Amino acid sequence: MTATKRTILPALMLCLVFAPALGAQEKTALAIMTAVYERPQPSDMSATLTMTLVDSKGKERVRSLDQRLGSFGGVDKKIMVFQSPADVRGTSFMNWSYGQAGKGDDQWIYMPALKRVKRITSDGKGGSFMGSDFSYDDLGARHPSADSHAILGSEVLAGEECWMVESKPQDAADGYSRTVSWISKSRLIGFRRDYYDKKGALLKTLSVLETRTMGPYLMITRTEMRDVQANHRTRMDFTAIRLDTGIADEQFSERAMAKGL
Amino acid sequence: MKRFFKTALGHPYAVMVMALGITLLAVLSVVSGFRMETNLDTYMPRTHPAFVFSDEADERFMIKDAILIAVEHPDSVFNPATLQKLIDIEDDLLALEGLSGARVNSIHTADNILATEDGLDVRRFYVDAPADQQGADRIALAVRGNDMIAGRLVSADERTALVIVELPESGFSRDLYDRIQSIAGRRAGPETLHVAGRPIVEGTLAALGPADMARMGPMVLLVIAIVLLIVLRQVRRTILTMSVVVASTVWAFGLMSALGVPMYSVSIMIPVMLIAIGVAYAIHLYNQIDHFTGETPGASRRDIAENAISVISSPALFAALTTVAGFVSLVTSQVYPVKYFGLFTAFGVFVSFMLTMLLVPAGIMAFGNGTVKKTAGSRGARAERIQEHGFGARFADALKAKPRFAYIATAVLIAVSAFGMSRVWINTSFLANFDSNSAIVKTDAFVNEHFGGTSSLNVILQATDPDTFKDPGVLRLMDALQTGALELENVGDTISLTTYLRRLHYSMNAADPAFDVIPDSSDLVAQYLLLYEMSGDPDNLWKVVDADFKSANVTVQMKSDDTLTIGRVIDYVEAQAADFARLGITIRYAGSGYKSLIFSDLILQGQMSSLGLSVIIVFILVSFMFRSLLLGLVSTIPVLISIAVNFGVMGLLNVPLTTSTALISSIAVGIGVDYAIHLITHYREALKALGDEDRAARFSMSHTGRAVLLNAAIVISGFMVMVFSVFPPNRQVGLLVSLNMLTAFLATVTIMFMVLRSISPRLIKELQK
Repeated sequence: MTATKRTILPALMLCLVFAPALGAQEKTALAIMTAVYERPQPSDMSATLTMTLVDSKGKERVRSLDQRLGSFGGVDKKIMVFQSPADVRGTSFMNWSYGQAGKGDDQWIYMPALKRVKRITSDGKGGSFMGSDFSYDDLGARHPSADSHAILGSEVLAGEECWMVESKPQDAADGYSRTVSWISKSRLIGFRRDYYDKKGALLKTLSVLETRTMGPYLMITRTEMRDVQANHRTRMDFTAIRLDTGIADEQFSERAMAKGL
Repeated sequence: MKRFFKTALGHPYAVMVMALGITLLAVLSVVSGFRMETNLDTYMPRTHPAFVFSDEADERFMIKDAILIAVEHPDSVFNPATLQKLIDIEDDLLALEGLSGARVNSIHTADNILATEDGLDVRRFYVDAPADQQGADRIALAVRGNDMIAGRLVSADERTALVIVELPESGFSRDLYDRIQSIAGRRAGPETLHVAGRPIVEGTLAALGPADMARMGPMVLLVIAIVLLIVLRQVRRTILTMSVVVASTVWAFGLMSALGVPMYSVSIMIPVMLIAIGVAYAIHLYNQIDHFTGETPGASRRDIAENAISVISSPALFAALTTVAGFVSLVTSQVYPVKYFGLFTAFGVFVSFMLTMLLVPAGIMAFGNGTVKKTAGSRGARAERIQEHGFGARFADALKAKPRFAYIATAVLIAVSAFGMSRVWINTSFLANFDSNSAIVKTDAFVNEHFGGTSSLNVILQATDPDTFKDPGVLRLMDALQTGALELENVGDTISLTTYLRRLHYSMNAADPAFDVIPDSSDLVAQYLLLYEMSGDPDNLWKVVDADFKSANVTVQMKSDDTLTIGRVIDYVEAQAADFARLGITIRYAGSGYKSLIFSDLILQGQMSSLGLSVIIVFILVSFMFRSLLLGLVSTIPVLISIAVNFGVMGLLNVPLTTSTALISSIAVGIGVDYAIHLITHYREALKALGDEDRAARFSMSHTGRAVLLNAAIVISGFMVMVFSVFPPNRQVGLLVSLNMLTAFLATVTIMFMVLRSISPRLIKELQK
C-alpha cells in the first residue's frame, strides 16, 4: 500500500492545486482521479494543526501540534510536536514513509518525561491517527491504480459542479469496501468523500470545510471526518501555514524531535 | 352477589352463550394482538438510580456483555489450522446480522506491544494464518512473551484460545444465540468449541424457562382433569370445571392482548396458576351440591342450585378475593413483567370464580345434576347424611382429645422453621438456574478454569477534577485495589488503566521487570497514553478511562456469578473506599452482573413487601367478611405458619431465595387462606344451626374438611406436575407452592381449627347478638 501512496503534503493537508479544467465528456473516472493525484505540490510545509475530537455526546477534546513536512529522495518525512494539552507538551512523533513496496514506515517518539527518543515499529496503517476519526490511510493520497474507478454521476456541492467518482479497492483486504468522492469539475479538487465499511454500510464522511489559495496552491485549511456509525467526529484546522521554505533534511532528526520545532 | 347469581339461574342458556361469546372475543383478541417480549432488558427498572448510573457508565466505558467462544485443541492451539480457525470463527461471527459492528477480541485481532532494543514494537500477532508449524511456533513465542495476552486470550496450557465478541447495543436475541451455537457446531473438530458468557446464560434461560412452562401447561391440565374426574366422579362436572379454568386463562390472555401488554417469560406461569387454583370454587360448590342432594332427595334443579349459591358464594367470593389479593400484592414489585403477572393472574382467578358461580348452577338448571358415580364403598350419600360420624368427625374428636399433641407439634415446627429461616440466603446467580451437569454449566466451568472468569463487575471510580487518573498516587491506589482483589476467592483477573500503563512502562524500558510498576510522573503517564493512542487501539483506552481522566473503570473478572462472589468483591472494594475518598474519588459500580444483583435485590425487597401486603390484605378481607377481627386473626394462623415453614425448609434444604422462589410466597398466602375461610364459615354456621360446639366441629370438619382436603389435593397435584420440569427454577416453584398448600391445609385443619374451637364461647355470644 505504501508503494502506491504519496504521504507528503496530502497527508494532513489534502492540498489540491488548480489544474486546467478538463472537458467533462472525455474524462474517464481513472483520468479524473489521476489528474487529482498528479497535481504539483509544495516541496515542504510547516503548519500548526488543531485537532478537535468531538464524541457522541458533543464533548470536545482539543489537541494542538506543530508539524513540519518534507520529501527527500523519495522518503516523505514528517515531525509533529504536541503543544497542548500541557502534560504532553513537547512530545513529538517523527514518521518516515518510503516509496518502495513492502517497506513499512519508520516511526520515533520523543517523550519529554523520559527525555529519550524511542523507535516504534508498527504494522498498523488502518489504525486511528492520534485517536482521531482519521486513519493513517485516510491522510495519505491513494494512488489511483490501487482502485478501480467509475463515475456515478454529477452533483452540485457547495455551489460547484462535481463528479461523483466511486473507487473500489483492487485488494480485497483493504479497509474499506468502496469510497465515493465528490470532485470539482472546474478545479479538480475533492470536496467530500464517503467511506463504506466491509459490509457496504456508510462508515465515515470526510468534508472539506474551508480552502485557501496560497501562491500556486489551493490549500484545504479546515476539514472534518465524521464517523457516522460511532457518531463522533474530528475537525482539523491548519493555521500558520508556510510552504516551500526550504526545510533541510537534517531538520528531520532525533535531535530535532527533542528540541522541538 | 348472591342475588346476581340467583338471578342468573333463570337464564342458564343466556349465561352459557354469553360466557362462550366473551371467550371467543378473548380468543380473537389473543389471535390478533398477541406479542411475545423476549428482551430481558424490559425487566429492568430503568429509573432506579443504580441502573441509571450503571447504564450511563456502560455507555461511557463501552461496557458490553460479551460472548466467549473457547476453542480447545487436544494438544496446542498454536498450529496453522487452529490459528486459521480463529480467523474463520471471527469472520463467521462478524457476518451475522446484529454482530456486524461488534468488536472481536482474540489473538488474531489483538496487538502485541513488545519491547525492542531501542523502543517499542506494536503489531498484530498474526494477520494471516501461518503456512507452517514454524510460523505457528513464532506466534506461540510472541504470545508467551506478552502477559496482557497470555492467560487472557490463550490459556496457560496453550490448549485453549478465546474469541470474545462484544454484543452491540441492539442486544441479544434468541435467533443470534441459535446462530452462534450453529457456528460453534460447524467449526468444531478437531477442536472442541465452548460457547459461554452472560448473554448465552441469559439467552438459554430465557428460552428454556418459557419452553418448559409451555410443556408443563398441558401436563397440568391433564393431571388436574384426571384428579377432578376422580374427585367429582362425573365426566360432565369435570368438563364444565375444566372449561371454566381454560376460559379464565383465555380471558386473562385476551385482556392482556387487548391492553397491548406483551407476553413475558413469567407470564407463562399464568395458565399453570389458573388451572391449579381455579378449580377450587367448583370443588366447594359440588361438595355442597352433593351434601344438599344427599340430605334432600328429590330436590328441584333450582333448589339445588340456589342452595349451593347461598352456602358457597360468600366464602368462595372471599376465598377468591384473598387469592386475588395475593396476586395483586405483586404490584409492589419494581419489575413490570411481575406486576403484569400478578394483575392478570388475579383477573383470571376472579374470572374463574365468577364463571364457576354462573356456569355450574347454569349447568344444573339446563342439564340437571346428573348422577354421581358411586365409588365401591358407596359412602357418598350415606356418609353425607351423617356428617357427624365420618372420618372428619373422628378427626375433630381426636384433636380435641389430644390438644397438646397438635400444639407441641406446631411449636416444634415453628422452632425448626425459625432455625431454617436464619439460614436462608439470597442468590441472584443466573447460572444457578441450571442443573450442575448441564452443558451450559460445564462450559462455564471450563472457561472459568482456564481464563479470568465469565462474570464481571465494573468498579467505577469517579473524581471531580480532570486528569485525576493521570496522578501516579491515584494510579498506585488503583493498582493496589486490583492486586488485593486478585486475592479474593473466585476472582480471576482485573483490567484497568493501570494494566496498560504498567505494560507500556515495562515495554518502553526494555522489558525490565523493575519497570512493571506505575510510572512516577503524571506527565509520563500522559505521554505513554498518547503513545498508546498513536500506536494501539484507542478504544481500548476509552474502556478504562474517560477522555477527561475524571473517571476510570476497573473490571474485575470472576469465576462465578453468584451473589456471594459479587458481594465479596463489593465488600472488599467498599473497604478501600475511605482511601479513595481521601483523594477525592468516589466508588460506584456498573455492568450487567451488578445490575442483575441490584435487580434481584429489588425483586426480593418487592417480594418481601408483597408478602407483608398480602398478609395484611388477607387479614382485612377476612375480618370484614366475618365482621370479626378475632376471626381475621385466626384465619391468618395457617398462612403465617406456611410462610414460616416455606422459608424454614428453604434454609434447611439450602434452597436459595431467588427471583422465582421469592415470587411464590405472597401468592401462597392468598391461596392458603382459602381453606381457613371455608372452614371458619361452615363451623360458624354449624354452630348457629346446631347450637352444640362438638357437633358443629364434627360437622364442619367432615363436610367442609373434605372439600378443603380435595381443594388442597388438587392444587398440590397441579403444582407437583412442575416437579417433572427440566428447569430447576420451575421445579422449585412447583415444590414450594405444593409445600405451602400442604402446610396451610394441615395448619388449617389442626392448629387453626383448635384455636377456632377454643374461642367458640365468644363466637356463640356474637351469634346470639
